[in-house]
Amino acid sequence: MEHTKHIWRISLLLLLVLIGAVLGRHFLIPDSFGKAGFYRYDALVELMGKEPVHGAPDSCADCHDEKALAKAAGLHRSVQCEVCHDVLSSHIRDDDKYADMAINRSYKLCAYCHQKLVARPAAMVQVDIAEHLELAPGDAIPAEACLECHDSENIHAP
Amino acid sequence: MSRDTRRNDFTRRDFLATAAKGAGALGLVVFGGGFAFVSANTVKSRTGETIGPFEYDPTKHEYLYLIDVSKCIGCGSCVRACERENDVPRHYFRTLVERYHVSRHGRVYADSPNGGRDGFDAKDIDADITKSFFVPKLCNHCTNTPCAQLCPVGASFVSPEGLVLVDEERCIGCSYCVQACPYGSRFIHPVTHTASKCTLCCHRLSKGLTTACVQNCPTGARRLGDSKAVGDEVVEIIATSNVRLLKPELHTEPKCYYVNCSQEVR
Ligand code: HEC
Ligand code: HEC
Ligand code: HEC
Ligand code: HEC
Repeated sequence: MEHTKHIWRISLLLLLVLIGAVLGRHFLIPDSFGKAGFYRYDALVELMGKEPVHGAPDSCADCHDEKALAKAAGLHRSVQCEVCHDVLSSHIRDDDKYADMAINRSYKLCAYCHQKLVARPAAMVQVDIAEHLELAPGDAIPAEACLECHDSENIHAP
Repeated sequence: MSRDTRRNDFTRRDFLATAAKGAGALGLVVFGGGFAFVSANTVKSRTGETIGPFEYDPTKHEYLYLIDVSKCIGCGSCVRACERENDVPRHYFRTLVERYHVSRHGRVYADSPNGGRDGFDAKDIDADITKSFFVPKLCNHCTNTPCAQLCPVGASFVSPEGLVLVDEERCIGCSYCVQACPYGSRFIHPVTHTASKCTLCCHRLSKGLTTACVQNCPTGARRLGDSKAVGDEVVEIIATSNVRLLKPELHTEPKCYYVNCSQEVR
């Protein structure tokens, strides 16, 4: 019976390890961990719950129906308002205008889509901007070059 | 050797070793409890109830992405939209557009100045260029993810609808996943120092909207489908046309399909 002391000792040690493990597990593993998989389910909820920045595709039409209707009838029908302007949330909060919407008047906006490039599909309408503006070689492109002839009406419904 | 000495062969050291093994096994049972019900695509809780935080039920969707290379005009609207929607830091990209020029002899000249965010300028290449096109790229949301598998803290995970996501709070920024991704879809965020990547705009999907990149594509080169929806057009196109995946040899089973995509694209 001289060895029982060892057994008690080791049992106590094991018990402590076990308690440590259970406690450690309780404190180290977040609440929702493992609800649906090997991850924190609340992270999914947080990610999914973020507010959208862009509006729905027709969100501008609620207040700018004239522009929206005009655009829908023209060749820019597939170009979202937010591509040329800015996101809905920069302009509207709680269904009311709270800040001005950006207006991009730079020729670069048009150039993103219309500058002639070899890689661009031939079906896309493209212009060699320098040629289209009849610039002399080496001339810089004026910042708002396109708006001189393509006015707001034309841009929204070419 | 007497019987007595043989009994004493079981020394204190042996006893401790055996006990340690036993404790290890016990520990596995205790800790292993968390692993026992792991299945990436269920949202059944331990007690069997289905969990869905929104009216949106993640188990009812499985998103597919379709890119028609012949329609991409390389305008970069998607890259700018993604940047605004997800607050992506400058010079980092959750999606980007690459431009390819391929010469008659098969030489590939690929570039993507600033991810295509600021559009593309004409490029002079001193070669006989016989084909040229733009290719949008984003996270492939692989079914068999190389990235989420090796996250040491369970910060990278696959959501019930098959999206590969990052839990910023748990991520320790070790960047194992950044190196593991064969498509280069991940980066370490310069401010939070955690892994960051395309979420397929899951915050929009959960509200019935489409992703920022798909919504702002002027030509329909990018499309989103749902293989659990009835009569989904994208699923039909994938089923009936000549689609391809990127790096299929890695068996990552991507969910982004490419149509009209030349083999130079990897
Ligand atoms: C192709 C790019 C483009 C798209 C698409 C576009 N806009 Fe514009 N928008 C412009 C430009 C450029 C101007 C500035 C015109 C000017 O100053 O002559 C402008 C000006 C405006 C103005 C100021 C008033 C005016 O007529 O000049 C409003 C309001 C406006 N846009 C609303 C919209 C709405 C609403 C939509 C979507 C239905 C839309 N825009 C889509 C490029 C665009
Ligand atoms: C809740 C209504 C509402 C919505 C939705 C809305 N706007 Fe406006 N917007 C306004 C009002 C009001 C004005 C000011 C009109 C005025 O001064 O004549 C305005 C003005 C503008 C202007 C002119 C510049 C300025 O800020 O005064 C532009 C450009 C514009 N909106 C674009 C958009 C675009 C693009 C969208 C969609 C993303 C949009 N708006 C959605 C209400 C709205
Ligand atoms: C996001 C891409 C995009 C932007 C930015 C854009 N466009 Fe367009 N544009 C298009 C598309 C797409 C079409 C339609 C082509 C088609 O249907 O054949 C088009 C058509 C046109 C057309 C009619 C071409 C024709 O066939 O007659 C004109 C003119 C035009 N755009 C001018 C402009 C101007 C000026 C700007 C700058 C304010 C601009 N666009 C900005 C994408 C864009
Ligand atoms: C001097 C006036 C003028 C300026 C400045 C101008 N355009 Fe034009 N643009 C025109 C006219 C006129 C047409 C119509 C030609 C037609 O309908 O065939 C046109 C047509 C277009 C078309 C359609 C081409 C086609 O093949 O159908 C595009 C795209 C275009 N412009 C883009 C631009 C862009 C981008 C800029 C700015 C860099 C710009 N334009 C500046 C006068 C101008």
